Order: sequence, then structure tokens, then C-alpha cells
Amino acid sequence: MTASTILCVNGRHVTVEADSKTPLLYVLRNDLGLNGPKYGCGLGECGACAVLIGDRAARSCTVPIGAVKTRPITTLEGLGTERDPHPVQAAFIAHQAAQCGYCLNGMIIATVALLRANLHPAEAEIRQALRHHLCRCGTHIEILAAVRAAAAPADTGDRTRGDRTCGDRT
Amino acid sequence: MRGQDMTAPHDRPAADYRADADTLLVARPVAGGAPELFLALRADGGITAFNGHVDLGTGIRTALAQIVAEELSAPFERVTMVLGSTAATPNQGPTIASETIQVAAVPLRQAAATARAFLVDEAAQRLSCPPGALHLEDGVVRAAEGDNLFVTVGELIAGRAIRLALDPQAPLKPSAAYTLVGRAQPRSDISAKATGTFQYVHDVRVPGMVHGRVVRPPHAGFDLGPHVGASLISVDRASVADIAGLIDVVVIGDFVGVVATREENAVAAMRQLKVAWRTPPRIPDLNAPEAPLRDNPSTARVLADRGNVGRALDAAPGAMERTYVWPYQMHGSIGPSCAVAEWQDEGLTVWSGTQNPFPMRRDLSRLLDLPEERIVVERLEAAGCYGRNCADDVTADAALLSRAVGRPVRVQLTREQEHGWEPKGAAQVIDVRGALDAEGGPAAYDFETRYPSNLAPTLALVLTGKVPPVADVAQMGDRTAIPPYAISNLRVTVHDMPPIARASWFRGVSAMPNSFAHESFIDELASAAGVDPIEYRLRYLTDPRAIDLVRAVAERAKWQPHTGPFSHGQAGDILYGRGFAYAVYIHGTFPGTAAAWAAWVADVAVNKVTGEIALTRVICGQDTGQVVNPDGVRHQIHGNVIQSTSRVLKEEVRFSQTAVASLEWGAYPLITFPEVPDIDVLMIPRPDEPPLGAGESASVPSAAAIANAVFDATGIRFRELPLTPEKVRAALNPLTPPASAAQEEKKPARRGWAWPFAGVLCGALAAGAALLPWRAPIAPVSAMGGDVFSSAAIERGRLAAAAGACNVCHVGADGTAFAGGRPLETPFGTVYASNITPDRAAGIGSWSYRAFERAMRQGIRRDGRHLYPAHPYTSFAKADERDIQGLYAYLATQASSPVAAPETRLRFPFSLRPLMAGWNALFLSSAAAPADPARSAEWNRGAELVEGLGHCAACHSPRNALGAEKTGAAHLAGGFADGWHAPALSSASRAPVGWTETALYDYLRTGRSADHGAAAGPMAHVVESLGPLPDADIRAMATYLASLNTATPARDASAVIAASETAATRAAMAEPVGARLFEGACAACHGAGTRLPSLALNSNLHANQPTNVLAALRAGIAAPAGEPDETMAMPSFDASLDQRALGDLLRYLRARFAPERAPWQNLSDAIASARNAPGP
Repeated sequence: MTASTILCVNGRHVTVEADSKTPLLYVLRNDLGLNGPKYGCGLGECGACAVLIGDRAARSCTVPIGAVKTRPITTLEGLGTERDPHPVQAAFIAHQAAQCGYCLNGMIIATVALLRANLHPAEAEIRQALRHHLCRCGTHIEILAAVRAAAAPADTGDRTRGDRTCGDRT
Repeated sequence: MRGQDMTAPHDRPAADYRADADTLLVARPVAGGAPELFLALRADGGITAFNGHVDLGTGIRTALAQIVAEELSAPFERVTMVLGSTAATPNQGPTIASETIQVAAVPLRQAAATARAFLVDEAAQRLSCPPGALHLEDGVVRAAEGDNLFVTVGELIAGRAIRLALDPQAPLKPSAAYTLVGRAQPRSDISAKATGTFQYVHDVRVPGMVHGRVVRPPHAGFDLGPHVGASLISVDRASVADIAGLIDVVVIGDFVGVVATREENAVAAMRQLKVAWRTPPRIPDLNAPEAPLRDNPSTARVLADRGNVGRALDAAPGAMERTYVWPYQMHGSIGPSCAVAEWQDEGLTVWSGTQNPFPMRRDLSRLLDLPEERIVVERLEAAGCYGRNCADDVTADAALLSRAVGRPVRVQLTREQEHGWEPKGAAQVIDVRGALDAEGGPAAYDFETRYPSNLAPTLALVLTGKVPPVADVAQMGDRTAIPPYAISNLRVTVHDMPPIARASWFRGVSAMPNSFAHESFIDELASAAGVDPIEYRLRYLTDPRAIDLVRAVAERAKWQPHTGPFSHGQAGDILYGRGFAYAVYIHGTFPGTAAAWAAWVADVAVNKVTGEIALTRVICGQDTGQVVNPDGVRHQIHGNVIQSTSRVLKEEVRFSQTAVASLEWGAYPLITFPEVPDIDVLMIPRPDEPPLGAGESASVPSAAAIANAVFDATGIRFRELPLTPEKVRAALNPLTPPASAAQEEKKPARRGWAWPFAGVLCGALAAGAALLPWRAPIAPVSAMGGDVFSSAAIERGRLAAAAGACNVCHVGADGTAFAGGRPLETPFGTVYASNITPDRAAGIGSWSYRAFERAMRQGIRRDGRHLYPAHPYTSFAKADERDIQGLYAYLATQASSPVAAPETRLRFPFSLRPLMAGWNALFLSSAAAPADPARSAEWNRGAELVEGLGHCAACHSPRNALGAEKTGAAHLAGGFADGWHAPALSSASRAPVGWTETALYDYLRTGRSADHGAAAGPMAHVVESLGPLPDADIRAMATYLASLNTATPARDASAVIAASETAATRAAMAEPVGARLFEGACAACHGAGTRLPSLALNSNLHANQPTNVLAALRAGIAAPAGEPDETMAMPSFDASLDQRALGDLLRYLRARFAPERAPWQNLSDAIASARNAPGP
């Protein structure tokens, strides 16, 4: 049943008219024009559609908009821009960590979530955190290098950056 | 260049460039047609270059721009590449076989050289000096650095429209002068991709665009035979009539599509549309491809016949005959294919991820009977495809739907459709016969390869009948079929054959399987000859660049020569080994063209107990000739190593008897991060040699290198892929019978509601009914009096409705509260929940309180007819009078719904409602809820809620043959609700960890308990309904429920989880396919280290029947309503896991998470009946 749902996306409140069971992915892409999250499987298996909900990575293909409530959503676009990328985005760009780049959204979102929970993950923790993010081009080596760089002690850029609240409403 | 409108990007047509002033264009004349444009220089310094190939995610856009910038000595940033657009670029055929740099870039470079030569000549005239003294640099032609005698390119072009014919002889810049080519160049697309601003084809949004989905026939992955295009029986358009925003259902032959205004509604229509198809024909068993490939009719084509192979084999003692089998594999694009089409009066525009824009246009022309010149193919990047995926198919689908609805339509294939229908990488069977001569050299080599063809037609063409579904035979089995070694008696035969499964070329095409055979066999010859495998190869290799490469890689790897297996020893259960392989990828029509040379040294660790192979390190050397972008080539090598490792160790398509059965990533697992090896890349510097394709070569030696390493570790040769643990284990331990829990005992009796005595019981009921009077109707009232109730009464009613979860059953089909109509499956038949809104006709608006109260407590409608006990009046009989009053008041204040619920029509004899009178006499008790003054007030309140309004027993108590809740010890001992098992709340609980008061509270309050998992199915709705109840009431219910289970829990949660961890290896060995399904389909959420409670704690895995596990997989589970941190729902796997996959998965789940329980019995029956139940 179509209803108005208010979501907090990238620091702004937005109202969408859709069935509350609609996957968040479709609303982000079609209603809000946010193309960062990608449709990959619709089953929560591949991670291409990941977004941050609060500080956690969630697979937006399996998140009904009605379940999000007031939790803040951050997409790839909400992390940073080409001109001013988030430190994790900057590390992926510096390490050229993409071939086709379709999985890149999920890789970056998962890395941001990992670093918010664990500032200095060990190699095994990095690999485990990305374990259920599929890449078919075989860009794993470059991705791992990017994550290591983003997690390196030398790089203490504001890795926790990103809008996590919508100020005008709680 | 793309236009400004980023929602519907258009490449500027070549004709527009030709009309531009102030430009220099270089084009290649075409007989009888418009010249092909390769280069446009503008007076402002901008450079646009055109190439008919496309970027498949390999970064070819960057490498081509480097070539153009280099030849023009211009900054890299100044070059814009236009790739693969039918409106703008030359037709250079499909983007295949790593040809872009090697072949397609040649005229591009030549065009830039043509422009440079012209500019220098022009400058020479203006500056009156010989052209040989001048050079072009950064948009300026001058004699020497700092020389103020110069002219800019802008000055030379301004005011003119210079049109040059491409000069194939224009002198090229010498490679020694290169400053851009050969240097690492960051790709131009990655920062946009990393920040979400890059536009993939999936991101195209044309104004007015609507959303389409297709419904495919059941023969997924098979596009040949008389049934193709002739399988549709009927489409029931009424079945989707209720979908909001549905625009059309389009049916053309076997092509079926739906279009809706919103994407999720198109998805809903696709799932809901009832389509009847003919049963597809049986296919040969391609899970074991050797026999079907041998049986497939073929034509032998002899590629080489030197010496006398037959005589040499007869003469040599101990000839070796070996067979190598390669499975069907998937390209496996991470993004299922997508396209947008806009059909207008003047023609068709498609935005497509096609690899082949020009052949695509030809297909669309044929499909739509539209001349090619009225079709524009705008090519945008899609997810990487490594061959050919469904990009062309979905483009044609979008075109058909746009034509049908007259609006722009975006079609996104589902994961299941992409997996099922993508043209697969073909299986292959290779036989090699060979022998050693007296010196240990290869005396003879007789090689035969079988490769089913790969020219899958665009699907819509065969589904609509535009193209007959008959097989074309392609000659593509010959790639790298000739071994690279000097063998005097050599015969190479390729058996060309039609396709079996739908197939297309896939990275490495037939060269990868052919090299698996060559390089495994040469390794085996070396062993037989007692020679180190690399030394042996070097003796017979003739190509000097191959020899250089092999030596360089051996040196880099610090290769220790050895003449037999076990060179790297073992530690505990782990066997170590190292293997080598070399190949040059030959592509194109035989004898073909060589791409880059590649060689691998692979290090493996094999677990001899589990059979798992870990590829720990790969040293990969490659001779790519001149390297345009070293970073780009290095990344391609990494990508090839990782992808081919995945293919060799893990990948094979599974088939049912009629179709592709691998429809998601659990059934077709890819390599994951923890499995990725260390990779050491060695690039042979060849700056003066022509550049070679690097997109595939490093994949080609993979299989043999890994198999040779496994031989070194284990002493066993594996000749059939993939190298799954079970295959390795079976070879290592040939005497151990295969462990499997698959053998099920057949138990004749089926449990559940059985009605063998229905007739007898019916008689008893009828007798009871006869003694009781027909109940009198209660006079209607004019209104329920919504305005006369106190707000306190209404509030009490609101909470009573929450506690009773009334709306769980009485919710309307469209979500309207209390509007009724929900079908409830019972053994009597389907009971429809009634409309209980205050509508006078459809609802209970004419019911007095007395009528309402009688219905609630006695199950008798206002008109005197009996309700069925799906309405839990036996529980409500125990409820507090004030709650019933409040409920009446609350319902009276709800919005009216005029929609009448469907009439319940049960099977005879249950259709006789008066029988219920007898039933009530037997089973309806007026006893109040249990009360115990010795217990706390909280316990007593809990009892009232659980046994009264909450009517927990309606689902959680077993029912007798007449559908009445059993009492006594059976009370709350487990029942059924709407296809789900409602677990026991009593001491009969099968929960592995006891339900404490805290756990019950968490579960009822939030929908989830840390020690048990999440509420699913009807219980999830109940928890949602309980939301308005105060914490105290939830606590009271928890207190009462906790007191019901007096059995002492044997273990705590950590012990239960530990047991499942201990069982993990054994379970994976017993059920390897199920283990992989779990890892790929479930473990992202349910795996170790994730936030959800372990499935080991979930009662459903410990239950006697897999009912709830099946129900959850089929219908999915909503996100827990009250859980603060969880927003993800479990999706339905109904369309992606078939019956066999469900069986594999369930057996694994049971063995892994409930290791103490016996395997589920009659699993296939349970799955079949769950799948035959009404849709999720």
C-alpha cells in the first residue's frame, strides 16, 4: 500500500511515496537519483547495493523502507565527492581499486563500516569483512591494498566522516 | 562526447562533427558510405577520438586515450574517447579476443599520425622551414624547445574545416620518444565510480521512463529446438490486475514482459503473473559433460598432422591416454544486464551495455522490422562481462516493451534470469594420446578437442520466432589447440559441434581448456621421463620469447628442479606443492593470432582430510610486447589470475533435467577475499615490440599450473574441473565411502492433520449437533455507536486488539486494518478472515455488543451461523469482559471498509456449519484463564493474556482430528499456523537453549532474542501487533510462558554454538554442495562473525520437521519490528533455489547447526509439498 515514508538520507530528510515494503535500493535509485548503490542479486548475497544505516553496512536490496524508520542512511554519494572524497574513497582512487567498478560501492561502504568499528583491522579481519562482497573482475588485490592504506596508522584522515544524523528531526 | 543531459546520454553523431567549423577530422573512406571518423581536433585544443570497441571494465578507454595523446604529443587529459556508438564511431565489430589494443587501436594511432604529419607540413609552410626540422608538442609546432618561431594547432585549424583521409602509411612516432605510452596512467573513470557519479547503463533515466521486467520460459539456458518460441500456453492477465501502476503485459510468441510505472511494481507483476508453459524437453546430463559432448554430433577438423602419429604410438611402449573435462561455466557479471529503450515515430534509441553495438543494431533491425539507419545504439558501461552476457538480450527486451507501450522502458534482468540465461562458457572434452621416445622426449602427440559452439542468438529473436531456433556451428574450439612444443609426430583435431546449452565465448575461450590439457600432459611426460617439468618444457619449446619468459618466471619463483611429486613436503594434514604451466593465447580464425605470452608458478596447500585446496601464491609472468599502461596490464594480470583461480577451484554450472539450476551465487560460488592468493607479477619489458592483447592471456595457464601443483602435493593427477574438495578427497581417500546424509529412510506414514476417521467423527458431531438448537440471530443495530464509548474503553480496546493480534488475520488484502479477506489455510480448507470494520453490510456495523460478545466467546455470528475455530473463540472465552467491551468500542471507531471478505467454502462435510455446534459442545469450555493466587500478580496477568486474548494456544497447541486444540500435557506443545510450525512453548520445546523470561521478553518485545533468533512468518506479525502493549504486559506474558517449560535446559548458548562449530567441517564434508549454498546464499547474514544469532540456537533447525526452515526460505522473513539495529529482511529464495538445491541446503543446515539431531526424514517430500503450497 502506497504511503509516505520519511527517510534520513545523506543528512537530509526526504519523503517518498511508495509501499512500505519497497526495497530501499529502488527508492534510493529511482526516487532519489542516488546511483551509488547497485542492484546485484536482490538476495543480500553480493553486497553491490550496500549502504550505511547508522554506522553499519546494510544490503539495501533487502531493507524494506518501512523498516528504516529514523535511522540515518549514508550512500556512496553521502561519503564524499570527486572533488572532496572521503578518505576511504580517496584510498580506492589512489590504488585504482576498480575494473568495471560495479562492486565498488559495496567495497567502499563495507570498508567504512569496518573502520568505524575497528580502526586498525588486521589483514584477516579485512578479508573477513569483505568476504561476502563479490567481485568478478578479480580486483581483490587492489581493493585490499586500498583498504590497508585507509586503515594504516599514518592515514588518520577523518575516516568516521559522513552525515549520520538529520539535524532538524529526531 | 556525451551531451549535457546526463539522464539520457547521447553520443554526438559523427555527422555533427563533420558539420563543425574550426576542426580537423581524420576519417577512413568507406566505399558507398559515410567515411568512418577516427579523430576530431578542435581549434581550442580539444581532441576527440573514436573507436568501435567498448570498455568492458578493463580500462581500455584510458589506454586508447594514452595512444592518441602520445601520437599527438598532447596532454592525456585533453583526449576524450568515444567508444562503440553506432551514431558516432566506426564499425569495428564485436569487442572480443583482447583485440582492442592489438587490432582496433591500429587505425586510431594511424589517424593521429595522419593529423600530426598534416599539422607539421602546414606549419612548415607558414614558418617557411623544412618539416623535418619541426615537431608537434602540446598543441604547438616549433623547431626546438624555447624557439619563438612556432605556430599553434589552434591557429592552424581556426577558420577551417580540415578533412583528412586516414593515411595508413603516415609515419608513427618512434617508441623511444614515448612519454605517455608505457607509463602508468591513472584511469579516467575510477574517481567517478568511487563517488557514485559514474553513469552505467543501469543508471540511465530517460524522461518519462517506466520499468519493465521479463518473464522467461522454463527452459532457462537452452535456446535451441522446436519448443523454443513455441512453449507458451497462456498468460493470465487478470492475475496482475491489482498491481498498482501496471501499464501493460506484453506477449509476443514466447516473449512475455510486464511494464509498470514503478520498478518494485514491475517486479511484483513479474512474480505474480500467472503464465502457463509447456513442459520443456529433457536435456542430457550436463553436470557430467563428458558423455553429452561425445554424443553430440560433430565434424572433425584436422588442424595439424605431422609425421605419423599412429605408427609412433604403436611403436612406443606405455602410451598414455588421458581425457580432460572442462565444465560449463558462467561469465557471472556482478550486475545483471539492464537496458533502456525509447521507441519514437522517427526510430529507436537504445542505451545498452552491449559488447557489440553494430551487430546489436542489426539484431534490433531484424527483430523490429526497422531499417538500421533508424536505430541508434548508445553504449554505456555495464558490469564487467568477460565474454558475452545478457546485455544484448535485455536491449532487445527493452525495445520490444518500449514499442508496445510507446514510452521509454528500462528493463533490468533479475539475478536468476542472468544466471539462468546468460550464454555460458562452453564445456569441453579433450583426449590426448602420447608416448615417450627412447630419449624420454615426446614421441607422439595426438590431441582431440570437443567444443560445443557459442553463437547464442539474441534471445528475443528466437522467443518471438523472428529467427528459427536452429543451431549454428562455430569453429572456435581451435584456440591454442596446437601445442607449443616441437613434436615430430603430431596430430591435432578439433570436433566442431553445435551448442548444447546456450553458450558464448568466455575469457580464454577454448584456449584455456586446451592449454589445461597440453600443460597437464607435458607435465606428465616430464614425470614419466624423470625430468624436471620446466627443464622438460625448455627442451622442446622453440619460440624464443616463450623460452625467455619461462626462464624469467622460473628464476623469479626460485624454482627448485625436481623430477617427481612431493617436492614441497607436508606438515600435519597439509600437503604442499608447486606447479608450472605456460601458454600463449591464440585467438581469431585458425591459425589465429597470438596475444600475450603467459606463465604461472602456483603454490598450493592441500588439506588431505577435507580435500580443500588453498592456492597460496602465484608468480605470473607475461610478455605483452609494448605495454601501453603498465598499471592497466598489471591489473589485468591480477584479474585474470584471480578469476581463473575461481574457475579452476570452484566453478561449474549445475543443471536440472530441463534447465540451468545455478540461479544465484550460492549455487555458483565465486572466489572470496579470504581465498585470494598472493600474486607476484613479472612483466617482460618489450618496448619495441607491437603491443599485444592482455585481457585474457594470464588466465590460460591457470588450470594446468594449479593441477600440476596439486600433483606435486598429492601425487595425483586431476583432469576434471573444478577441483572441489569432494573431488580431491575422493581421490586421496578412495577407500572411504562418500559420507552423505542424503540417504533418507522412507517412512510410509505422513504426519500432520490426517483425516482417516473423518466420516465417523462427522457422525459423532452430527449427533451432537442434533441435540443442540440452531442458534438464534441477534437483531441488527443501526450502528455500533462509535461516538458513545469512553476514551478509556477505546484505549483498552486498542491494547486488547494488540494483545489479540486481531489485525494479523483480519487485515485487508490491500493493508486496510480489519478489512478481512486473508485466506487462512486449515486442514478443513481455506477459511477467510471476516471484515470486522464498522461497515454495516460488509463488516460488523450492524452487530450489537451482545452479538459481538457471542461471536468472540462462542463462535456464533450475529445471524446465528457458526464460525469455524480458525477464529480462536475458545481462547477469547477466557478473556476479561472489559477487554471484549473495549474491543467492541475500539472496532466501532475504526474506518469502515465496504469490501466484503470472500465467503469461506470448506470441503464437505466441514461445509456444514451446524456441525460446529456439536464441535463446540465437545471442545468449547467456559473456564476462565488459569489463575493461581499463590503466584505473582505478574504471572496471573501473563496467564490471562496468553490463554485469553493472546490465544497463543490457537497456533501453539496441537489439534486433534477435529481441529480442536489438544489440552492437558499437549497444551502449547506445538502446532501449526498458516503453513508454519508453531513450536512448543511447554516442556516439549525442542529449542537447544532454554527460553528464559528475559529471552521471551526480548522476543515478544523486539521480535528477536539473542539466544534464539528472530520471529518469522505469522509470529513476526504477532510481535508487531503486540507493539502497543506496555512493557509490563509483555513482561507478564514472558513470566507466565517461562513457567510453562519446566524441563532443565541441558546447555547454554555458547555450548550449542561450539557444538555447531565443531560440526562445521564434518557437515561440509558430508554435504559439500549444501555447504557452498550456505556460504554463498546465507552466510553474508548468518555466517560466523555476523550480527545475527547463530542458527545453531534457532529452534527451527532442531525441530522434527523442516517446515519453518522451508517456509522462511520460501517466503522470506520481515525485519524484526522492534529490533533497534536490524533493518534487513530475509529475502525469498523461492525463485532461486530449486528442489535439489533446497535439499542440499537443508541437509547441510541440519548437520551443521543441529548436529545432535537425526537427519530430517522424507526431505524431498517435505520440499515438494512446501513448494506446491500456495505462493509465498
